[in-house]
Amino acid sequence: MIQASEIRKSYGRFAALRGVSFRVETGQVAGLLGPNGAGKSTTIRILTGFRPPDAGWARVADLDIARRPRAARRAVGYLPESAPLYDEMTVRDFLLFRSRLYGLGFRSRRAGADAAMARTSLHAVARKRIGTLSKGFRQRVALASALVHDPPVLILDEPTNGLDPAQVRELRALIRELAQERTMLISSHVLDEIERVCDRVVMLVGGRVRADGAPDALLRDAADRLGAPYHIEARPGAAGVPAPAAMVAALRERLMRTPGVSEVETALATDTEWVRITALTKPGVGDIRPHLAQAVAPALIREITRASIGLEDLFHELASRGESKPQTGGAA
Amino acid sequence: MNGLIGIAIRELRAYYRLPIGWVVTALYTFLTGVVFTLRTLEPGAPATMQFFFAIAASLLAVVAPALSMRLFAEESRSGTLETLMTSPVGDASIVLGKFLGAAGCLVTLLIPTGAFVALLFRLSSPAPDPGPIIAGYLGLLLVGSLYLAVGLVASALTSSQTLAFLGAFLFLVGHLLLTEEGAARLPSPYADWAAATSITARTRDFAAGVIDVAHVGFFVAWTGCLLVVACVIQQARRWR
Repeated sequence: MIQASEIRKSYGRFAALRGVSFRVETGQVAGLLGPNGAGKSTTIRILTGFRPPDAGWARVADLDIARRPRAARRAVGYLPESAPLYDEMTVRDFLLFRSRLYGLGFRSRRAGADAAMARTSLHAVARKRIGTLSKGFRQRVALASALVHDPPVLILDEPTNGLDPAQVRELRALIRELAQERTMLISSHVLDEIERVCDRVVMLVGGRVRADGAPDALLRDAADRLGAPYHIEARPGAAGVPAPAAMVAALRERLMRTPGVSEVETALATDTEWVRITALTKPGVGDIRPHLAQAVAPALIREITRASIGLEDLFHELASRGESKPQTGGAA
Repeated sequence: MNGLIGIAIRELRAYYRLPIGWVVTALYTFLTGVVFTLRTLEPGAPATMQFFFAIAASLLAVVAPALSMRLFAEESRSGTLETLMTSPVGDASIVLGKFLGAAGCLVTLLIPTGAFVALLFRLSSPAPDPGPIIAGYLGLLLVGSLYLAVGLVASALTSSQTLAFLGAFLFLVGHLLLTEEGAARLPSPYADWAAATSITARTRDFAAGVIDVAHVGFFVAWTGCLLVVACVIQQARRWR
Protein backbone atom coordinates (compact mmCIF):
# COMPACT_ATOMS: atom_id res chain seq x y z
CA MET A 1 0.00 0.00 0.00
CA ILE A 2 1.17 3.54 -0.78
CA GLN A 3 -0.58 6.46 0.86
CA ALA A 4 0.06 10.18 0.72
CA SER A 5 -1.96 12.61 2.79
CA GLU A 6 -2.00 16.36 2.27
CA ILE A 7 1.69 16.41 1.34
CA ARG A 8 3.17 19.87 0.91
CA LYS A 9 6.67 20.69 -0.21
CA SER A 10 8.27 23.98 -1.20
CA TYR A 11 11.68 24.78 -2.64
CA GLY A 12 12.28 28.33 -1.49
CA ARG A 13 9.25 30.29 -2.65
CA PHE A 14 8.20 27.68 -5.19
CA ALA A 15 5.47 25.39 -3.91
CA ALA A 16 6.16 22.05 -5.62
CA LEU A 17 3.36 20.14 -3.84
CA ARG A 18 0.26 21.84 -2.49
CA GLY A 19 -1.59 19.21 -0.52
CA VAL A 20 -1.23 15.99 -2.50
CA SER A 21 -3.31 13.03 -1.29
CA PHE A 22 -3.81 9.64 -2.89
CA ARG A 23 -3.83 5.99 -1.95
CA VAL A 24 -2.68 2.98 -3.94
CA GLU A 25 -4.01 -0.29 -2.57
CA THR A 26 -1.92 -3.43 -2.23
CA GLY A 27 -1.59 -5.18 -5.57
CA GLN A 28 -2.52 -2.11 -7.60
CA VAL A 29 -0.38 -0.53 -10.30
CA ALA A 30 -0.80 3.23 -10.26
CA GLY A 31 0.50 5.65 -12.85
CA LEU A 32 1.69 9.06 -11.73
CA LEU A 33 1.16 11.54 -14.54
CA GLY A 34 1.64 15.22 -14.99
CA PRO A 35 3.41 17.85 -17.07
CA ASN A 36 6.95 18.93 -16.23
CA GLY A 37 7.03 20.75 -12.90
CA ALA A 38 3.75 19.17 -11.76
CA GLY A 39 5.42 17.64 -8.71
CA LYS A 40 5.87 14.00 -9.80
CA SER A 41 9.55 13.76 -8.91
CA THR A 42 9.02 15.54 -5.58
CA THR A 43 6.19 13.12 -4.75
CA ILE A 44 8.38 10.15 -5.61
CA ARG A 45 11.30 11.52 -3.61
CA ILE A 46 9.06 11.89 -0.58
CA LEU A 47 7.62 8.39 -0.97
CA THR A 48 11.10 6.88 -1.26
CA GLY A 49 12.33 8.73 1.84
CA PHE A 50 14.84 10.83 -0.07
CA ARG A 51 13.28 14.10 1.05
CA PRO A 52 10.86 14.81 3.91
CA PRO A 53 7.63 16.73 3.22
CA ASP A 54 7.11 20.18 4.77
CA ALA A 55 3.66 19.07 5.90
CA GLY A 56 1.43 16.03 5.57
CA TRP A 57 2.46 12.41 5.83
CA ALA A 58 3.18 9.43 3.64
CA ARG A 59 3.12 5.69 4.26
CA VAL A 60 4.42 2.73 2.29
CA ALA A 61 3.55 -0.87 3.18
CA ASP A 62 1.78 0.47 6.29
CA LEU A 63 4.97 2.17 7.51
CA ASP A 64 5.09 5.89 8.22
CA ILE A 65 8.05 7.27 6.27
CA ALA A 66 8.80 10.00 8.83
CA ARG A 67 8.49 7.82 11.92
CA ARG A 68 10.06 4.61 10.63
CA PRO A 69 12.25 5.82 7.77
CA ARG A 70 14.58 2.84 7.55
CA ALA A 71 11.85 0.21 7.72
CA ALA A 72 9.85 2.18 5.12
CA ARG A 73 12.86 2.47 2.79
CA ARG A 74 13.48 -1.26 3.19
CA ALA A 75 9.94 -1.92 1.95
CA VAL A 76 10.47 0.06 -1.25
CA GLY A 77 12.29 -0.85 -4.44
CA TYR A 78 13.11 2.33 -6.32
CA LEU A 79 14.16 2.87 -9.91
CA PRO A 80 15.16 6.54 -10.32
CA GLU A 81 14.60 8.35 -13.61
CA SER A 82 18.20 8.36 -14.83
CA ALA A 83 18.86 4.77 -13.63
CA PRO A 84 22.11 5.78 -11.90
CA LEU A 85 24.65 2.96 -11.58
CA TYR A 86 28.29 2.44 -10.66
CA ASP A 87 29.94 1.96 -14.05
CA GLU A 88 33.10 0.38 -12.66
CA MET A 89 31.23 -2.49 -10.98
CA THR A 90 30.12 -5.74 -12.57
CA VAL A 91 26.37 -6.39 -12.68
CA ARG A 92 26.58 -9.16 -10.09
CA ASP A 93 28.80 -7.17 -7.70
CA PHE A 94 26.46 -4.22 -7.97
CA LEU A 95 23.42 -6.32 -7.11
CA LEU A 96 25.25 -7.96 -4.21
CA PHE A 97 26.22 -4.49 -2.97
CA ARG A 98 22.64 -3.25 -3.23
CA SER A 99 21.30 -6.29 -1.37
CA ARG A 100 23.87 -5.65 1.37
CA LEU A 101 22.55 -2.11 1.76
CA TYR A 102 19.14 -3.64 2.42
CA GLY A 103 20.56 -5.71 5.25
CA LEU A 104 20.40 -9.13 3.61
CA GLY A 105 22.67 -11.86 4.96
CA PHE A 106 25.36 -13.60 2.89
CA ARG A 107 23.14 -16.35 1.44
CA SER A 108 20.13 -14.08 0.99
CA ARG A 109 22.31 -11.62 -0.92
CA ARG A 110 23.33 -14.24 -3.42
CA ALA A 111 19.81 -15.60 -3.71
CA GLY A 112 18.39 -12.08 -4.09
CA ALA A 113 20.91 -11.12 -6.77
CA ASP A 114 20.34 -14.36 -8.68
CA ALA A 115 16.55 -14.01 -8.50
CA ALA A 116 16.69 -10.37 -9.64
CA MET A 117 18.99 -11.27 -12.54
CA ALA A 118 16.72 -14.12 -13.54
CA ARG A 119 13.67 -11.83 -13.51
CA THR A 120 15.38 -9.21 -15.64
CA SER A 121 17.29 -11.66 -17.89
CA LEU A 122 20.71 -10.42 -16.83
CA HIS A 123 22.57 -13.67 -16.28
CA ALA A 124 24.37 -13.37 -19.62
CA VAL A 125 25.97 -10.08 -18.55
CA ALA A 126 26.38 -10.87 -14.84
CA ARG A 127 30.16 -10.54 -14.95
CA LYS A 128 30.31 -7.58 -17.31
CA ARG A 129 31.14 -4.11 -16.15
CA ILE A 130 28.06 -1.91 -16.04
CA GLY A 131 29.89 0.86 -17.95
CA THR A 132 30.14 -1.42 -20.99
CA LEU A 133 26.40 -2.22 -21.16
CA SER A 134 23.82 -0.82 -23.57
CA LYS A 135 21.09 1.53 -22.38
CA GLY A 136 18.55 -1.29 -22.32
CA PHE A 137 20.73 -3.51 -20.16
CA ARG A 138 21.55 -0.61 -17.85
CA GLN A 139 17.84 0.01 -17.34
CA ARG A 140 17.38 -3.67 -16.54
CA VAL A 141 20.26 -3.59 -14.06
CA ALA A 142 18.66 -0.60 -12.34
CA LEU A 143 15.33 -2.45 -12.22
CA ALA A 144 17.06 -5.57 -10.88
CA SER A 145 18.64 -3.46 -8.13
CA ALA A 146 15.16 -2.31 -7.13
CA LEU A 147 14.02 -5.96 -6.92
CA VAL A 148 17.03 -7.45 -5.20
CA HIS A 149 15.53 -7.33 -1.71
CA ASP A 150 12.10 -8.47 -2.94
CA PRO A 151 10.21 -5.37 -1.76
CA PRO A 152 6.41 -5.27 -1.45
CA VAL A 153 6.34 -1.78 -3.00
CA LEU A 154 7.97 -0.74 -6.27
CA ILE A 155 8.35 2.88 -7.36
CA LEU A 156 9.56 3.30 -10.93
CA ASP A 157 10.38 6.72 -12.33
CA GLU A 158 10.27 6.73 -16.15
CA PRO A 159 11.10 3.00 -16.41
CA THR A 160 11.17 2.91 -20.22
CA ASN A 161 13.37 5.97 -20.64
CA GLY A 162 15.66 5.57 -23.65
CA LEU A 163 14.57 2.03 -24.50
CA ASP A 164 13.80 0.87 -28.03
CA PRO A 165 10.29 -0.44 -28.84
CA ALA A 166 11.25 -4.09 -28.37
CA GLN A 167 12.82 -3.34 -25.00
CA VAL A 168 9.78 -1.30 -23.99
CA ARG A 169 7.56 -4.28 -24.80
CA GLU A 170 9.77 -6.60 -22.74
CA LEU A 171 9.85 -4.22 -19.81
CA ARG A 172 6.11 -3.73 -19.96
CA ALA A 173 5.61 -7.51 -19.76
CA LEU A 174 7.97 -7.64 -16.81
CA ILE A 175 6.11 -4.83 -15.05
CA ARG A 176 2.85 -6.70 -15.53
CA GLU A 177 4.41 -9.83 -14.11
CA LEU A 178 5.85 -7.96 -11.12
CA ALA A 179 2.55 -6.22 -10.51
CA GLN A 180 0.86 -9.51 -9.67
CA GLU A 181 2.42 -9.55 -6.23
CA ARG A 182 3.37 -5.94 -5.53
CA THR A 183 2.05 -2.45 -5.13
CA MET A 184 3.53 -0.27 -7.85
CA LEU A 185 3.72 3.42 -8.62
CA ILE A 186 4.99 4.29 -12.08
CA SER A 187 5.79 7.79 -13.22
CA SER A 188 5.97 8.20 -16.96
CA HIS A 189 5.65 10.69 -19.77
CA VAL A 190 4.61 7.89 -22.11
CA LEU A 191 0.84 7.96 -21.69
CA ASP A 192 0.35 4.87 -23.79
CA GLU A 193 2.56 2.99 -21.36
CA ILE A 194 0.51 4.12 -18.36
CA GLU A 195 -2.75 3.23 -20.14
CA ARG A 196 -1.50 -0.27 -20.92
CA VAL A 197 0.10 -1.10 -17.61
CA CYS A 198 -1.73 0.77 -14.85
CA ASP A 199 -5.08 0.05 -13.30
CA ARG A 200 -5.13 3.44 -11.64
CA VAL A 201 -4.00 6.92 -12.63
CA VAL A 202 -3.05 9.84 -10.41
CA MET A 203 -2.59 13.02 -12.39
CA LEU A 204 -0.74 15.95 -10.88
CA VAL A 205 -0.96 19.50 -12.20
CA GLY A 206 0.64 22.45 -10.43
CA GLY A 207 1.41 20.44 -7.31
CA ARG A 208 -2.17 19.20 -6.85
CA VAL A 209 -3.98 15.99 -7.71
CA ARG A 210 -6.19 16.83 -10.70
CA ALA A 211 -7.46 13.34 -11.48
CA ASP A 212 -7.43 10.09 -9.56
CA GLY A 213 -9.06 6.84 -10.55
CA ALA A 214 -9.18 3.91 -12.94
CA PRO A 215 -8.13 4.95 -16.48
CA ASP A 216 -11.39 3.64 -18.04
CA ALA A 217 -13.55 5.58 -15.61
CA LEU A 218 -11.48 8.74 -15.98
CA LEU A 219 -11.66 8.53 -19.76
CA ARG A 220 -15.41 7.86 -19.69
CA ASP A 221 -15.87 10.92 -17.48
CA ALA A 222 -13.61 12.92 -19.76
CA ALA A 223 -15.59 11.82 -22.81
CA ASP A 224 -18.81 13.03 -21.11
CA ARG A 225 -17.18 16.26 -20.09
CA LEU A 226 -15.39 17.04 -23.33
CA GLY A 227 -18.10 15.83 -25.66
CA ALA A 228 -16.53 12.98 -27.56
CA PRO A 229 -17.85 12.49 -31.14
CA TYR A 230 -20.26 9.63 -32.02
CA HIS A 231 -19.98 7.63 -35.22
CA ILE A 232 -23.22 6.32 -36.70
CA GLU A 233 -23.69 4.08 -39.68
CA ALA A 234 -27.26 3.83 -40.92
CA ARG A 235 -29.28 2.88 -44.02
CA PRO A 236 -32.05 5.45 -44.53
CA GLY A 237 -33.37 3.99 -47.78
CA ALA A 238 -34.14 0.55 -49.13
CA ALA A 239 -31.64 -2.26 -49.37
CA GLY A 240 -29.46 -2.27 -52.46
CA VAL A 241 -30.40 1.30 -53.39
CA PRO A 242 -28.00 4.22 -52.80
CA ALA A 243 -29.29 6.39 -49.97
CA PRO A 244 -31.53 9.17 -51.35
CA ALA A 245 -30.15 12.67 -50.59
CA ALA A 246 -33.49 13.84 -49.19
CA MET A 247 -33.64 11.02 -46.68
CA VAL A 248 -30.07 11.72 -45.59
CA ALA A 249 -30.93 15.40 -45.13
CA ALA A 250 -33.94 14.43 -42.99
CA LEU A 251 -31.77 12.14 -40.91
CA ARG A 252 -29.28 14.92 -40.45
CA GLU A 253 -32.05 17.30 -39.42
CA ARG A 254 -33.38 14.88 -36.78
CA LEU A 255 -29.90 14.40 -35.36
CA MET A 256 -29.33 18.15 -35.16
CA ARG A 257 -32.48 18.45 -33.06
CA THR A 258 -31.27 15.75 -30.62
CA PRO A 259 -30.42 17.30 -27.21
CA GLY A 260 -26.69 17.72 -26.73
CA VAL A 261 -25.70 17.52 -30.41
CA SER A 262 -23.78 20.53 -31.66
CA GLU A 263 -22.81 19.51 -35.15
CA VAL A 264 -23.50 16.69 -37.61
CA GLU A 265 -21.25 15.64 -40.47
CA THR A 266 -22.39 13.12 -43.07
CA ALA A 267 -20.28 11.19 -45.50
CA LEU A 268 -22.60 10.04 -48.29
CA ALA A 269 -21.14 7.54 -50.65
CA THR A 270 -23.11 7.53 -53.92
CA ASP A 271 -22.54 3.85 -54.66
CA THR A 272 -23.64 2.52 -51.30
CA GLU A 273 -26.83 2.34 -49.32
CA TRP A 274 -25.04 3.08 -46.01
CA VAL A 275 -24.42 6.60 -44.68
CA ARG A 276 -21.65 7.37 -42.22
CA ILE A 277 -22.53 10.17 -39.80
CA THR A 278 -20.39 11.89 -37.20
CA ALA A 279 -22.27 13.71 -34.44
CA LEU A 280 -20.32 16.17 -32.31
CA THR A 281 -21.72 16.93 -28.88
CA LYS A 282 -21.61 19.82 -26.48
CA PRO A 283 -19.31 19.42 -23.43
CA GLY A 284 -20.91 17.93 -20.34
CA VAL A 285 -23.92 16.19 -21.94
CA GLY A 286 -22.86 12.67 -21.00
CA ASP A 287 -23.64 9.54 -23.00
CA ILE A 288 -26.44 10.32 -25.51
CA ARG A 289 -26.37 7.10 -27.52
CA PRO A 290 -30.03 6.23 -26.66
CA HIS A 291 -31.18 9.68 -27.94
CA LEU A 292 -29.15 9.29 -31.11
CA ALA A 293 -30.60 5.82 -31.71
CA GLN A 294 -34.09 7.26 -31.28
CA ALA A 295 -33.35 10.08 -33.76
CA VAL A 296 -31.95 7.71 -36.39
CA ALA A 297 -34.58 5.04 -35.68
CA PRO A 298 -36.58 5.21 -38.94
CA ALA A 299 -33.37 4.18 -40.69
CA LEU A 300 -31.69 0.83 -40.21
CA ILE A 301 -28.80 1.28 -37.76
CA ARG A 302 -25.66 -0.80 -38.23
CA GLU A 303 -23.44 0.95 -35.69
CA ILE A 304 -23.45 3.70 -33.07
CA THR A 305 -20.07 4.09 -31.38
CA ARG A 306 -18.59 6.73 -29.27
CA ALA A 307 -15.06 7.80 -30.20
CA SER A 308 -12.73 7.00 -27.37
CA ILE A 309 -10.84 9.73 -25.60
CA GLY A 310 -7.23 8.86 -24.89
CA LEU A 311 -5.23 9.54 -21.80
CA GLU A 312 -3.35 12.09 -23.89
CA ASP A 313 -6.55 14.11 -24.44
CA LEU A 314 -7.32 13.94 -20.74
CA PHE A 315 -3.73 14.88 -19.91
CA HIS A 316 -3.84 17.94 -22.16
CA GLU A 317 -7.26 18.96 -20.94
CA LEU A 318 -6.28 18.80 -17.27
CA ALA A 319 -2.88 20.36 -17.87
CA SER A 320 -4.45 23.26 -19.74
CA ARG A 321 -7.17 23.75 -17.12
CA GLY A 322 -4.54 23.85 -14.39
CA GLU A 323 -6.25 25.09 -11.29
CA SER A 324 -9.77 23.83 -11.75
CA LYS A 325 -11.70 21.18 -9.79
CA PRO A 326 -10.14 17.72 -9.38
CA GLN A 327 -11.61 14.74 -11.25
CA THR A 328 -12.20 11.37 -9.72
CA GLY A 329 -13.39 8.23 -11.33
CA GLY A 330 -13.70 4.60 -10.35
CA ALA A 331 -11.38 5.03 -7.41
CA ALA A 332 -10.40 1.74 -5.88
CA MET B 1 26.46 -2.09 10.16
CA ASN B 2 26.07 -4.38 7.15
CA GLY B 3 25.43 -1.34 4.94
CA LEU B 4 28.39 0.55 6.39
CA ILE B 5 30.75 -2.37 5.68
CA GLY B 6 29.25 -2.77 2.21
CA ILE B 7 29.85 0.90 1.40
CA ALA B 8 33.43 0.76 2.77
CA ILE B 9 34.27 -2.33 0.69
CA ARG B 10 32.66 -0.85 -2.43
CA GLU B 11 34.63 2.37 -2.05
CA LEU B 12 37.91 0.56 -1.50
CA ARG B 13 37.35 -1.68 -4.52
CA ALA B 14 36.29 1.29 -6.64
CA TYR B 15 39.71 2.92 -6.15
CA TYR B 16 41.40 -0.03 -7.76
CA ARG B 17 38.73 -0.62 -10.41
CA LEU B 18 39.34 2.94 -11.54
CA PRO B 19 42.72 4.36 -12.58
CA ILE B 20 42.81 6.80 -9.65
CA GLY B 21 43.84 4.20 -7.05
CA TRP B 22 46.68 2.86 -9.16
CA VAL B 23 47.88 6.29 -10.32
CA VAL B 24 47.92 7.79 -6.83
CA THR B 25 49.60 4.69 -5.35
CA ALA B 26 52.24 4.67 -8.09
CA LEU B 27 52.94 8.40 -7.76
CA TYR B 28 53.11 8.29 -3.98
CA THR B 29 55.41 5.25 -4.02
CA PHE B 30 57.63 6.89 -6.64
CA LEU B 31 57.92 10.23 -4.82
CA THR B 32 58.50 8.67 -1.40
CA GLY B 33 60.97 6.30 -3.08
CA VAL B 34 62.93 9.26 -4.42
CA VAL B 35 63.00 10.82 -0.94
CA PHE B 36 64.04 7.51 0.59
CA THR B 37 66.84 6.97 -1.94
CA LEU B 38 68.23 10.49 -1.77
CA ARG B 39 67.90 11.29 1.93
CA THR B 40 67.61 8.02 3.86
CA LEU B 41 69.98 5.72 2.06
CA GLU B 42 72.96 8.05 2.57
CA PRO B 43 76.19 6.10 3.16
CA GLY B 44 77.46 6.66 6.67
CA ALA B 45 74.30 8.45 7.81
CA PRO B 46 72.29 7.06 10.78
CA ALA B 47 69.59 4.55 9.83
CA THR B 48 66.58 6.77 10.47
CA MET B 49 63.46 7.47 8.46
CA GLN B 50 62.64 10.74 10.22
CA PHE B 51 62.98 12.90 7.09
CA PHE B 52 61.17 10.28 5.00
CA PHE B 53 58.12 10.35 7.29
CA ALA B 54 58.04 14.17 7.39
CA ILE B 55 57.99 14.37 3.58
CA ALA B 56 55.61 11.40 3.25
CA ALA B 57 53.16 13.22 5.57
CA SER B 58 53.44 16.43 3.54
CA LEU B 59 52.71 14.53 0.33
CA LEU B 60 49.47 13.32 1.88
CA ALA B 61 48.16 16.90 1.62
CA VAL B 62 47.94 16.24 -2.14
CA VAL B 63 47.18 12.54 -2.06
CA ALA B 64 44.28 12.63 0.45
CA PRO B 65 42.22 15.25 -1.47
CA ALA B 66 42.84 13.23 -4.66
CA LEU B 67 41.46 10.12 -2.95
CA SER B 68 38.54 11.81 -1.23
CA MET B 69 37.36 14.14 -4.02
CA ARG B 70 35.12 11.51 -5.61
CA LEU B 71 33.50 10.15 -2.46
CA PHE B 72 30.37 12.33 -2.52
CA ALA B 73 30.96 14.64 -5.50
CA GLU B 74 30.91 11.81 -8.04
CA GLU B 75 27.86 10.16 -6.49
CA SER B 76 26.06 13.48 -6.46
CA ARG B 77 26.93 14.14 -10.12
CA SER B 78 25.97 10.67 -11.35
CA GLY B 79 22.80 10.41 -9.27
CA THR B 80 23.86 7.26 -7.38
CA LEU B 81 23.68 9.25 -4.15
CA GLU B 82 19.88 9.22 -4.49
CA THR B 83 19.81 5.41 -4.57
CA LEU B 84 22.17 5.33 -1.59
CA MET B 85 20.05 7.79 0.37
CA THR B 86 16.84 5.89 -0.39
CA SER B 87 18.31 2.64 0.94
CA PRO B 88 17.79 1.82 4.62
CA VAL B 89 21.33 2.92 5.52
CA GLY B 90 21.65 5.93 7.83
CA ASP B 91 23.50 9.08 6.80
CA ALA B 92 26.17 8.46 9.47
CA SER B 93 26.78 4.97 8.06
CA ILE B 94 27.10 6.39 4.55
CA VAL B 95 29.69 8.96 5.70
CA LEU B 96 31.59 6.48 7.87
CA GLY B 97 31.51 3.79 5.19
CA LYS B 98 32.95 6.15 2.64
CA PHE B 99 35.59 7.37 5.08
CA LEU B 100 36.64 3.81 5.96
CA GLY B 101 36.85 2.91 2.27
CA ALA B 102 39.17 5.86 1.65
CA ALA B 103 41.16 5.05 4.81
CA GLY B 104 41.53 1.50 3.50
CA CYS B 105 42.97 2.95 0.32
CA LEU B 106 45.36 5.05 2.43
CA VAL B 107 46.59 1.88 4.16
CA THR B 108 46.95 0.15 0.79
CA LEU B 109 48.87 3.18 -0.44
CA LEU B 110 51.36 2.88 2.40
CA ILE B 111 51.98 -0.86 1.94
CA PRO B 112 54.53 -0.48 -0.91
CA THR B 113 56.60 1.88 1.28
CA GLY B 114 57.17 -1.13 3.54
CA ALA B 115 59.73 -2.19 0.92
CA PHE B 116 61.80 0.86 1.87
CA VAL B 117 61.73 -0.19 5.51
CA ALA B 118 62.79 -3.73 4.57
CA LEU B 119 65.61 -2.32 2.46
CA LEU B 120 66.80 -0.13 5.31
CA PHE B 121 66.83 -3.10 7.68
CA ARG B 122 68.82 -5.14 5.14
CA LEU B 123 71.40 -2.48 4.32
CA SER B 124 71.91 -0.85 7.73
CA SER B 125 74.25 -2.07 10.38
CA PRO B 126 73.33 -1.72 13.14
CA ALA B 127 69.67 -2.27 12.24
CA PRO B 128 67.39 0.76 12.68
CA ASP B 129 65.26 1.13 15.80
CA PRO B 130 61.76 -0.16 14.87
CA GLY B 131 60.04 2.15 17.43
CA PRO B 132 60.34 5.41 15.46
CA ILE B 133 59.32 3.59 12.28
CA ILE B 134 56.13 2.31 13.92
CA ALA B 135 55.48 5.81 15.31
CA GLY B 136 56.12 7.27 11.86
CA TYR B 137 53.54 4.99 10.23
CA LEU B 138 51.03 5.70 12.99
CA GLY B 139 51.60 9.42 12.32
CA LEU B 140 51.04 8.91 8.57
CA LEU B 141 47.78 7.07 9.24
CA LEU B 142 46.53 9.74 11.63
CA VAL B 143 47.55 12.67 9.40
CA GLY B 144 46.18 10.89 6.34
CA SER B 145 42.86 10.21 8.09
CA LEU B 146 42.52 13.85 9.09
CA TYR B 147 43.28 14.98 5.54
CA LEU B 148 40.79 12.46 4.16
CA ALA B 149 38.12 13.83 6.52
CA VAL B 150 38.84 17.36 5.24
CA GLY B 151 38.51 16.03 1.68
CA LEU B 152 35.30 14.20 2.56
CA VAL B 153 33.71 17.44 3.79
CA ALA B 154 34.84 19.26 0.62
CA SER B 155 33.42 16.43 -1.51
CA ALA B 156 30.08 16.57 0.34
CA LEU B 157 29.79 20.27 -0.45
CA THR B 158 29.97 20.04 -4.24
CA SER B 159 29.16 17.78 -7.17
CA SER B 160 32.43 18.71 -8.90
CA GLN B 161 35.43 16.50 -8.14
CA THR B 162 37.79 19.25 -9.28
CA LEU B 163 36.29 21.75 -6.86
CA ALA B 164 36.35 19.16 -4.08
CA PHE B 165 40.05 18.49 -4.72
CA LEU B 166 40.98 22.17 -4.94
CA GLY B 167 38.91 23.08 -1.89
CA ALA B 168 40.53 20.41 0.30
CA PHE B 169 44.03 20.93 -1.09
CA LEU B 170 43.99 24.72 -0.71
CA PHE B 171 42.52 24.44 2.78
CA LEU B 172 45.22 22.00 3.87
CA VAL B 173 48.09 23.96 2.30
CA GLY B 174 46.69 27.21 3.70
CA HIS B 175 46.35 25.64 7.14
CA LEU B 176 49.87 24.19 7.04
CA LEU B 177 51.37 27.53 5.99
CA LEU B 178 49.35 29.61 8.43
CA THR B 179 50.07 27.42 11.45
CA GLU B 180 53.75 26.94 10.57
CA GLU B 181 54.48 30.58 9.77
CA GLY B 182 52.06 31.86 12.39
CA ALA B 183 53.75 29.92 15.18
CA ALA B 184 57.10 31.40 14.16
CA ARG B 185 56.17 35.01 13.35
CA LEU B 186 52.98 35.99 15.15
CA PRO B 187 53.00 37.59 18.61
CA SER B 188 51.58 35.73 21.60
CA PRO B 189 48.82 34.52 22.06
CA TYR B 190 48.31 34.11 18.27
CA ALA B 191 51.53 32.17 17.93
CA ASP B 192 50.36 29.81 20.69
CA TRP B 193 47.06 29.28 18.91
CA ALA B 194 48.87 28.57 15.65
CA ALA B 195 51.18 26.11 17.40
CA ALA B 196 48.24 24.43 19.14
CA THR B 197 46.55 23.66 15.81
CA SER B 198 49.73 22.87 13.90
CA ILE B 199 49.73 19.54 12.10
CA THR B 200 53.36 19.83 10.96
CA ALA B 201 54.75 20.06 14.50
CA ARG B 202 52.86 16.93 15.51
CA THR B 203 53.96 15.12 12.37
CA ARG B 204 57.58 15.92 13.21
CA ASP B 205 57.14 14.36 16.65
CA PHE B 206 55.71 11.16 15.18
CA ALA B 207 58.54 11.06 12.63
CA ALA B 208 61.02 11.39 15.50
CA GLY B 209 59.45 8.37 17.17
CA VAL B 210 57.36 10.21 19.78
CA ILE B 211 53.85 8.84 20.26
CA ASP B 212 52.20 11.55 22.33
CA VAL B 213 48.69 10.69 23.48
CA ALA B 214 47.73 14.37 23.13
CA HIS B 215 48.80 14.28 19.48
CA VAL B 216 46.82 11.08 18.87
CA GLY B 217 43.82 12.68 20.59
CA PHE B 218 44.21 15.82 18.43
CA PHE B 219 44.05 13.87 15.17
CA VAL B 220 41.27 11.52 16.31
CA ALA B 221 39.16 14.39 17.69
CA TRP B 222 39.49 16.59 14.60
CA THR B 223 38.88 13.68 12.26
CA GLY B 224 35.76 12.81 14.27
CA CYS B 225 34.55 16.43 14.21
CA LEU B 226 34.97 16.63 10.45
CA LEU B 227 33.06 13.37 9.97
CA VAL B 228 30.23 14.83 12.05
CA VAL B 229 30.29 17.93 9.82
CA ALA B 230 30.08 15.66 6.76
CA CYS B 231 27.08 13.90 8.36
CA VAL B 232 25.35 17.23 8.94
CA ILE B 233 25.97 18.24 5.31
CA GLN B 234 24.59 14.90 4.19
CA GLN B 235 21.46 15.32 6.30
CA ALA B 236 21.03 18.91 5.10
CA ARG B 237 21.03 17.57 1.54
CA ARG B 238 17.67 15.93 2.27
CA TRP B 239 16.17 19.31 3.15
CA ARG B 240 17.41 21.18 0.07
